[in-house]
Amino acid sequence: MSAEIAITFNLNGCRRALAVPAELRLIDLLRDHFGMTAAKMACGIGRCGACSVLMDDRAVNGCLVMSWQLDGATIITPEGFDDLPEADVLREALASENAFQCGYCAPGITVALTALMLENPAPDESQIRAALEGNICRCTGYHSIIRGALAAVEALARGIPT
Amino acid sequence: MTEPGLQVLRPTSVAEALSLAGEGASQLVAGGTALQLGWAKGLPKPRRLIDIGRIACLKGIQPAGDGFRIGALTTLGAMERDRAIGENLPLLAAAVRATAGPAVRNLGTLGGNVAGLMGCLLPALLASDAKLEIASPAGHAVVPLAQWLADTPSADLIEAVIVRPQPTARWTHRKVGLRAAFTPSVAGVAGLVETAYDRITVARLAASGGGQAARLGRAEALLVGRRLQEIDWAELHAAILEEAPAIDDVWRSERYRRSVVANALVFGLGGKLSQGAPSPCRRTVPSGNPPAEILVSRSEIGARWHQRPDVAPKIAGRLEYLTDHREPAMLVGRIRRAGIPHARIVCIDTSAAEALPGVAAVVTHRDIAGSNAFGIVVQDQPALCFDKVRYVGDAVAAVAAVDMKTAERALALVSVEYEPLPIVSDPQQALAAGAELVHASGNLQCSFEFTRGDAAATFAKAAHIVEAVYETPSQMHGFMETEGGYAFVGTDGTLNVFAGGQHGRRDRMQLSRILGMPQEQIRVVTSPTGGAFGGKDELTVQPALALLALKTGRAVRLHLDRAESVIAGTKRNAMRIHMRTACDPEGRLLAQQVDVIADAGAYASLGPGVLETALEHACGPYVVPNVLSSGRLAYTNNGVCGAFRGFGANQMAFAVECQLDRLAEAAGIDIIEIRRRNLREPGTRGHLGQQVAPSERLAEMLQAAAADPIWAKPRGPSFDGCETIGVGMAMNYQGNGLGTLPPDPAGGALRLAADGMIEALYGLDEMGQGLLTSVKAAVAGALGCGRDDVRPVTGDTAATPESGSSTASRGTHVVWRVAAVAAPAFARDLLAAAGQLLCREAGTLALAPGGIVERHSNSGSLLMSFAELAEALPPDRLPAAAVSFEFPKSDYLEGNARLIFAFGATLARVAVSRITGQVRMLELHQHTAAGPMLDAAAYLGQIEGGGVQGLGFTLTEDAAMRDGRYLAGNLDFYMLPSIADTPESLATFALEDLDEDDPFGPRGVGELGIGAVTPAIVNAIADATGAWPERIPVDPEWVLDALQRSAA
Repeated sequence: MSAEIAITFNLNGCRRALAVPAELRLIDLLRDHFGMTAAKMACGIGRCGACSVLMDDRAVNGCLVMSWQLDGATIITPEGFDDLPEADVLREALASENAFQCGYCAPGITVALTALMLENPAPDESQIRAALEGNICRCTGYHSIIRGALAAVEALARGIPT
Repeated sequence: MTEPGLQVLRPTSVAEALSLAGEGASQLVAGGTALQLGWAKGLPKPRRLIDIGRIACLKGIQPAGDGFRIGALTTLGAMERDRAIGENLPLLAAAVRATAGPAVRNLGTLGGNVAGLMGCLLPALLASDAKLEIASPAGHAVVPLAQWLADTPSADLIEAVIVRPQPTARWTHRKVGLRAAFTPSVAGVAGLVETAYDRITVARLAASGGGQAARLGRAEALLVGRRLQEIDWAELHAAILEEAPAIDDVWRSERYRRSVVANALVFGLGGKLSQGAPSPCRRTVPSGNPPAEILVSRSEIGARWHQRPDVAPKIAGRLEYLTDHREPAMLVGRIRRAGIPHARIVCIDTSAAEALPGVAAVVTHRDIAGSNAFGIVVQDQPALCFDKVRYVGDAVAAVAAVDMKTAERALALVSVEYEPLPIVSDPQQALAAGAELVHASGNLQCSFEFTRGDAAATFAKAAHIVEAVYETPSQMHGFMETEGGYAFVGTDGTLNVFAGGQHGRRDRMQLSRILGMPQEQIRVVTSPTGGAFGGKDELTVQPALALLALKTGRAVRLHLDRAESVIAGTKRNAMRIHMRTACDPEGRLLAQQVDVIADAGAYASLGPGVLETALEHACGPYVVPNVLSSGRLAYTNNGVCGAFRGFGANQMAFAVECQLDRLAEAAGIDIIEIRRRNLREPGTRGHLGQQVAPSERLAEMLQAAAADPIWAKPRGPSFDGCETIGVGMAMNYQGNGLGTLPPDPAGGALRLAADGMIEALYGLDEMGQGLLTSVKAAVAGALGCGRDDVRPVTGDTAATPESGSSTASRGTHVVWRVAAVAAPAFARDLLAAAGQLLCREAGTLALAPGGIVERHSNSGSLLMSFAELAEALPPDRLPAAAVSFEFPKSDYLEGNARLIFAFGATLARVAVSRITGQVRMLELHQHTAAGPMLDAAAYLGQIEGGGVQGLGFTLTEDAAMRDGRYLAGNLDFYMLPSIADTPESLATFALEDLDEDDPFGPRGVGELGIGAVTPAIVNAIADATGAWPERIPVDPEWVLDALQRSAA
């Protein structure tokens, strides 16, 4: 029998207790076991950011986190962002700016930017650029994303609507 | 059969960890970020991982003595955010920021970076004189890092790193990679000097040149005891050059790495770099008035800015891509790739794979009922190989199993016996007599020749001749969603194939041939697709998916992982363009000779079209009376190549536009002026003698380039002296459509759906380019309804009519023309139906957002909504209108020629590093003339995105192969531009007007954005360095040498 390990973690606000192979990647767990496909799979080696999720409020690559690292962690995937007011403002600003084209990188970039804004609600362009160094977008040339992120910073400065 | 799973042990003390590690077959692990990378490269998985993450004493950042003790488990992200480190250890903080990317830094640890022995932090830690707290079976010890590295003991556990602040020290840090950020390290340096009474008391220099980092003791000795202002920088530079550790590999030479290390340390510590001040491009001020362009930006265009309908669901992750689809009991498919570049297949045995529990089917060439050959132009590629394999990614077999793991296991059990054949890895050698044959028909896939006048005789009387060989690389499309999708056989026996593509009907036709199934029994869905750029034009996974679904009778999904996509997927054809161009003393072009050798790779796909298109653009938008052009496409074992945005035209523009700048320099003429003197006249015949469409805007684009404010921006040495800034420009001239020779069917339909939406049906594909938003714009514009009234239906052979391919910048015209032609009849039918229901004359009614209004009424109030209209009509009386036509063609049939062109001028301002030779893009200005923008945001997206894809092609991207194998296997070494590579600023301008009698409407801009970026950058590099790089991606070592020459 393939060895499985018992893990308990919080996924988008729900406690999950599972027995899974230790080396199962978080991204495969999400996409294939839970059918949660908002986080995308694009390089599988942590070099593109498409599979990013929040792990204890920090952006991490879902393809680099293995199930043995999940025990006790809090994971928020793009599906769980509806409950984050900062993410809502950000997503709306990115959408208004038409920040993405094919959109396959969009959930991951939203995760990276949300992590940035949770830490620093008023980042400048250089901080936005630095926060996105691990996310590849092949369609846009990035400027539409920067414009969208800056618009989100402005919107956040005006306050999150309640 | 089961394989033993990976065990994870969780010691809570260092002693326990060491004791477990001593038992063998295990590996200590903390963040684990390097593990996956190693496994992906084939490193063996250990049986046991010893997770040291629960050992308390390895955590935290604490003051220790006069320094800091940083626990080995501290993530790089935590170090980055730690204020004490930022304030007290700025050198280390800088090194952390240059290591990996933010999300990886949140997992990777300091201890892991050091223990890996090649970590990017090592130069900084060495220069900081860091010490390690080490635990080994022999006990605990504190060891200087330099000593530990020299000893490289393997049984150690790093507990912490101790670093002492040097508040008064002068320090420098630089990591040099293959692109601007998140890159493998080519070289890393860190230097630190402390002074007392003006004399250097401590100097620590450390560097890595692709291998392990080391201190540079001899160079340090040159500094200690000296006054800062007495340092002999040239002597120091020479010493570092000699001492720097550096490796030589396929990415960068040892010589380059040494130079970079020496330059970076000398400059970083305050020394000067040798200066040169070439200025081949004399233009320094904007001239004349710009044409009536608009700046395409949200703020400038106001009400014309619309949010695309698919962007919010994409951002939220709610849009289901075809590779996202999952259903219960769905099988998982995988494809067995050749893995070797060229071999005869002796036998394929699938019995072991088929016997594996959980395997539903294994398919090979024996399962192909139709013709085992496909290809858009020439059917030379087997769906599953039978007699031989011609490239590493050739498909040999495919399996479907209950899950991915079983599918992978089964794949390994498919036994294929090969007899290796000599590898044909160079197109030129492929064409030499006696070369090994890739195909029995010969290695020359096709050739083209075109002659006008007498080029050879004209060269003899020319005033100036420029001759060069321009080389362009194979480029990977790098769509973020790799090839994939799913397939199933419906209850009616229809085979359904849902896989990202660029022309569903052609995919269906190709599948029908392979499967021996009538087209009517196959449905192909191609949208939405997560990027294509030409790379999903040819069939990808569809044959394997179809065969597996048919054989199992079940739904199967298949999604290539990136590594497989890299070896299997289509790339841009690498080209070698030999160009000789002559002009008279006034810079008027007299003659041009062009000879192109293009690498087809293993199969033709659209390579013949790419080469022919390159040659169609052999003189760009210029008139050359005497031309001799030829091109050959050679089969090799170098992957497969075919369509890629630009389709040969952008490669040729690189050569042509550099030739123009070089002739301008030779003739002493302004670069704008030489173009003005040679630009084609509107209304004259095209390069091949073909009729071309009206609304030519070349002169206007050239004027826009002349007037661009970029010329007034600073040039030459940067303020700090470490960069040289240059400006370059190039004209952009790109044909739309497939051309005169291939069939180029187009069409679409409008209908009122039962729910009151106006459905716009197009067989085109939403790949990200903005098809949906463009359809809404075109239909709403033609009908007078609102965008929200329009529901685009796209990319489904069962639901949408033939529109042709989503390629060749042709979609825009198709979208516009279907709407424009179908709208009058469709609107008439809508109004007639509404008139009947409202008991009004149809002529008194009009369409408006939401429904039917009274014509000429200002109130805007709806007499009837579209939903009410639809509800009131019987389903078979709902108005509909369909249009089909051939994409507009020119009259030239001796070769392939375009009728419609789009125009542009591209300007680039770049900063060339005198330290690294790398090129940083400051500004990219793209002037475009492509008729009225259907949708401004989509237009802007295409131009900007094409621009940065062109930047990658020019500066960092190269899907290079050695002996038939890709050097870069994934996105760790294949350098797609990152956000740090994108220009500081981008500007897109559009000149929208058309001639009065122009019947063709908006032009496509899918390729316009990439078209002239390469020559604009290369001409800018020449402005900065005095020489034109002839090979892209531009080699920074070449740039450093060019700078050296210009300084001499």
